[in-house]
Amino acid sequence: MSGQSFLSTSGTEIAFVLVGIVALGAALLTVTTRQLVHAALWLVVALGALAVEYLLLTAEFVAWVQVLIYVGAVVVLLLFGLMLTRAPIGPSPDADSRHRPLAAAVAVAAAALLVTVVADAFRTTWITLRPGAGSAEANGIGLFRAWVLPFEALSVLLLAALVGAIVLSRRRAARPGVHEEADD
Amino acid sequence: MTVMHAQVLAAGDVSGFGHDPWWIMLIKAVAIVVFLMVSVIWAIVWERKVVGWMQLRIGPNRTGPWGLLQSFADAMKMMLKEDLVVKNADKFVLVLAPIVAVVPSFMAWAVIPFGPEVSMFGHRTALQLTDLPVGLLYILAVTSVGIYGFVLSGWASGSTYPLLGGLRSSAQMISYEIAMGLSFAAVFLFSGSMSTSQIVAAQAHTWYVALLPVSFLVYVIAMVGETNRAPFDLPEAEGELVSGYSTEYSSMKFGTFMLAEYINMYTVSAVCATLFLGGWRAPAPITTIWAGANSGWFPLIWFVIKLQIGLFFFIWLRGTLPRFRYDQFMKLGWKVLIPVSLVWLVLVAVVRAMKNEGWQFGRIALWTVGGVLVLLILALVWDAVFRRKPAGGGEPAPEPAFDPMAGGFPVPPLPGQALPPVPRRAPRAQRRAAAARAAEAETGGTDTDDGDGSPSPANAGARSAATTSTTGKGAERDDR
Amino acid sequence: MSATAVAAPAVHSLWTTAAAAPIHAPKIEYAQLSPILVVLGAAVAGILVEAFVPRRARYGTQLAVTLIGLAGAFAAVVGLAATGYATTKADLAAMGSIAVDGPSLFLQGTLILVTAVGVLAIAERGLEPQSREVPHVDAFAPQAAAVPGSEDEKAAARAGWSTTEVFPLTLFALSGMLVFPAAGDLLTLFIGLEILSLPLYLMCALARRRRLLSQESAVKYFLLGAFASAFFLFGTALLYGYAGTLDLGGIAKVVTGDAAPNAALNASAHGDALLLIGGAMIVMGLLFKVGAVPFHAWTPDVYQGAPTPITGFMAAATKVAAFGALLRLLYVALPEMRWDWRPVMWGVAILTMALGAIVAVTQTDVKRMLAYSSIAHAGFLLTGVIAGNKQGVSAVLFYLAAYSFVTLGAFAVVTLVRDAGGEATHLSRWDGLGRRSPLVAVTFALFLLAFAGIPLTSGFSGKFAVFSAAAKGGAVPLVVVGVLCSAVAAFFYVRVIVRMFFAEPRADGPSVAVPSALTGTAIAVGAAATLVLGVFPQWAFDLADKASVFIR
Repeated sequence: MSGQSFLSTSGTEIAFVLVGIVALGAALLTVTTRQLVHAALWLVVALGALAVEYLLLTAEFVAWVQVLIYVGAVVVLLLFGLMLTRAPIGPSPDADSRHRPLAAAVAVAAAALLVTVVADAFRTTWITLRPGAGSAEANGIGLFRAWVLPFEALSVLLLAALVGAIVLSRRRAARPGVHEEADD
Repeated sequence: MTVMHAQVLAAGDVSGFGHDPWWIMLIKAVAIVVFLMVSVIWAIVWERKVVGWMQLRIGPNRTGPWGLLQSFADAMKMMLKEDLVVKNADKFVLVLAPIVAVVPSFMAWAVIPFGPEVSMFGHRTALQLTDLPVGLLYILAVTSVGIYGFVLSGWASGSTYPLLGGLRSSAQMISYEIAMGLSFAAVFLFSGSMSTSQIVAAQAHTWYVALLPVSFLVYVIAMVGETNRAPFDLPEAEGELVSGYSTEYSSMKFGTFMLAEYINMYTVSAVCATLFLGGWRAPAPITTIWAGANSGWFPLIWFVIKLQIGLFFFIWLRGTLPRFRYDQFMKLGWKVLIPVSLVWLVLVAVVRAMKNEGWQFGRIALWTVGGVLVLLILALVWDAVFRRKPAGGGEPAPEPAFDPMAGGFPVPPLPGQALPPVPRRAPRAQRRAAAARAAEAETGGTDTDDGDGSPSPANAGARSAATTSTTGKGAERDDR
Repeated sequence: MSATAVAAPAVHSLWTTAAAAPIHAPKIEYAQLSPILVVLGAAVAGILVEAFVPRRARYGTQLAVTLIGLAGAFAAVVGLAATGYATTKADLAAMGSIAVDGPSLFLQGTLILVTAVGVLAIAERGLEPQSREVPHVDAFAPQAAAVPGSEDEKAAARAGWSTTEVFPLTLFALSGMLVFPAAGDLLTLFIGLEILSLPLYLMCALARRRRLLSQESAVKYFLLGAFASAFFLFGTALLYGYAGTLDLGGIAKVVTGDAAPNAALNASAHGDALLLIGGAMIVMGLLFKVGAVPFHAWTPDVYQGAPTPITGFMAAATKVAAFGALLRLLYVALPEMRWDWRPVMWGVAILTMALGAIVAVTQTDVKRMLAYSSIAHAGFLLTGVIAGNKQGVSAVLFYLAAYSFVTLGAFAVVTLVRDAGGEATHLSRWDGLGRRSPLVAVTFALFLLAFAGIPLTSGFSGKFAVFSAAAKGGAVPLVVVGVLCSAVAAFFYVRVIVRMFFAEPRADGPSVAVPSALTGTAIAVGAAATLVLGVFPQWAFDLADKASVFIR
């Protein structure tokens, strides 16, 4: 905690800052690019950079889960949705909104607030990274001891979401005149 | 204190890694890449040869002895071809896509154990580039990034069939990744680790293919789905989508996709070997005869043999099985593989929990087998008592008339069914006679140029054939 | 393990991997979690019913499963309260994730009763017009996947399809609501919030009539809800950064200085901004669910668009759960920050009451009017929260119980007044309803009077309780504003009553459907609760008073 100063930077810290810049830049491009699919790709870069940041903070389990879930599944599904509906090659100006300046103002304000608050709170605080603090085992113990109820509750949430998705999307074979089929 | 113990274990997990000098790491990395490239070159010839034999052909035999240099010829051809970029494409993404496809397939090999610790230029080092405590998670994550290559190539081509191929590819890989992950989970439960080297170490006595046969089967099916290979090669189904996502690709851009596909095949085979087939360990009879089979550089041989067996399996499938229909394929993934994996995983977890409680093997076997049997009997009773019998007692329901477009797809007739008659042209003799009569009428000096004016018998015949065919169809519709 | 190996050497090779050291199993107090567990069990049973019971028998089975589950959960709550878990044995359960104490049990009991009544209205199948082909159908879309206005949709409606998934979804929402006011840490609070919200987003999209409106409302609710959740999460992260713990009690200890804050902060200790901004963001997330100004924008649209039985359930139950969580957060985690949050909440409460009451005056749609009225009531409830004393807690608890039954009853009545296009919600259509259907009009008038806070209704008792608690807590100006807003609100409630009883009925006016026993019971229970809590409120006050101590 002590004995460290910001003047003696190690390779990890330099990498952390550089990757952070990549994440920030990719995030900015995500919201400013005028091409839908490119926005999704920049989002991939931003999420991947976040995973690298986790890795640099010794949270390897979370890092690879981030890649697996966000990069490997969420954005792929997003692309899937884009391609199923409309995924024009080239800019799509109609996807732009008049509220761009307003949204930018809100985003800048929120970012400024959060950055100021966090920077102000932690100032020169130094947290030494302990290898193994982010291992699968540490995560498992945390999840299945202290946070077991929220964890199980999340599975309930997923179940509810699953039921909801089926309710919203399922079609019965449309056979007008037949009231009740025996079963699905 | 058990927790303490586990932490010590976890800390000791990968202690053998990360201490290599940089040049050994470099040698290993280069060696892996070289190994993969050589393997791919071999695989292409091998696949063509094997498929040739299965189709009673010889296969390539012109280039080099026994056709062995065929891959080089193919590669030269590919490099010399014109590199087309279609006008409508998103050029940057079009070029990016093959790279995105191929890089992760190389990356996954970083944690594959090729063998035990060996001596390399005076250093003791494991035959594995590096190891992670979450190694398999890393493999899953990295291969899931590879999906982007296929999805983006489909999109960036700016044309319909590639887009459909890309869509199929993403849906397919995401669906089968779930079943794959579930089959991994059973392995984790038994090995107590996600690190590849630990999983191999845990199979010192029994391979998981014997302990977890259901997981193995699910994995093997899922791995074929993940690699887009026959019979699950729907994203590039040439009968439906021309060539799927790679339709608009040519030259080395196409070659890169091929490279990715073959490396992916090797990757999933390597994972299969590592997880279920004892990794680099020699099979049982060899180890009993030869104690040194599992030490030194020899395990490399077993590992490569296992990889080649995996590859042969892929080729065998391609040579024998027809392609799945897309909906059947999805049904298999979601309605068979995932539920089966889930039930199996619960069973494995129960056994594992009993074992952790210190139960004896016999008792565990009794309870699990007994439990499964009870469930089966209950299901049987349920079927016998509550399942509705088909109406009409013993009388079998009359066969429904054969519908060649059942469910909106053209289907072949089953044994005992016959295709409905296809409307045909009149026999040639009749047509010839009709034509002759028409010509006669024209030359016969009638002052009308309009040949259609008079109803010629040929026309009448054709028309009557048409009417009979339509009425035939109408009758068939009524039947339905 | 070694014993196994010794005893069964023959199978040694099958069991080579040492049993990995298991982590110590967490301590779960299943008995104290039983209300939540019973509801979840019923929900899962509902899903199994969907999967295995023939479609024809599903409706009855679902209704039975749901009601039995609710009865069991309520019995569990009563059992826990009777054995002293509300007072002397109050404790944190499930590794500190769930607080089982007086407010938790009171709110859980209220929520279960409210849901039971709500389910009766949801299950109603006698209101939609029937014909020989079309059997009894409910208020939900026959096939949610059909595009509104499409041939597909018409065919589905003609076929008389109906779905029964709303029952398990309602139970899922309820389980989240049970967790929400009882959460012992911020993570559980957040997950409770999501579990209660997600099924509600879904059910809002399921209206049988006016489906575009319904879908729009669901999307709006979902997007704004996700936005609010993001605020909540940011706040959680900041508070964690400040305190180094997510436990509400732990945060309070760090605030008072009884416990060391985040180890990292020890050195520098500049965390007040983290605490303030973090707390503010979490409160924003909760105020969104409550529907307080300036986070109210979703309320009118969602209330109007959602199927009316769902609107009633949502309006009543969400408010109960969210106010419970707000109380717990402010009274357990941030009591020492009172001097920081009270001025802000003053502003929010005044704005909420004023805007709700004034904008409601201009509304011409019954459901929108009730939505703005619910905003105003959120303001009244906030005055009780601001009181900052034990009396304030008990007053809010009582108000919530009273208000939720009035709301349920009112929306249930709205489902009855119908014309060819479904429910006739435009106020002008209600002209002269009292002449044609005096019973329905009188019941609705009773609910409106309760909303307005006229004596001898539960609304009066509740308002009296919160205002007196607020006055005692030193918020007299707030009480004055509250009374003024009540007067404004009374104007538009009475205006509706006047329209119903003294305006000429229209020739093409709506008809009043005769409900089945289900909606009838729901309305009757609502009316009875309104009257009983208005005429004999003392026992309920005593109950709420006994239940007003939070465990930390």
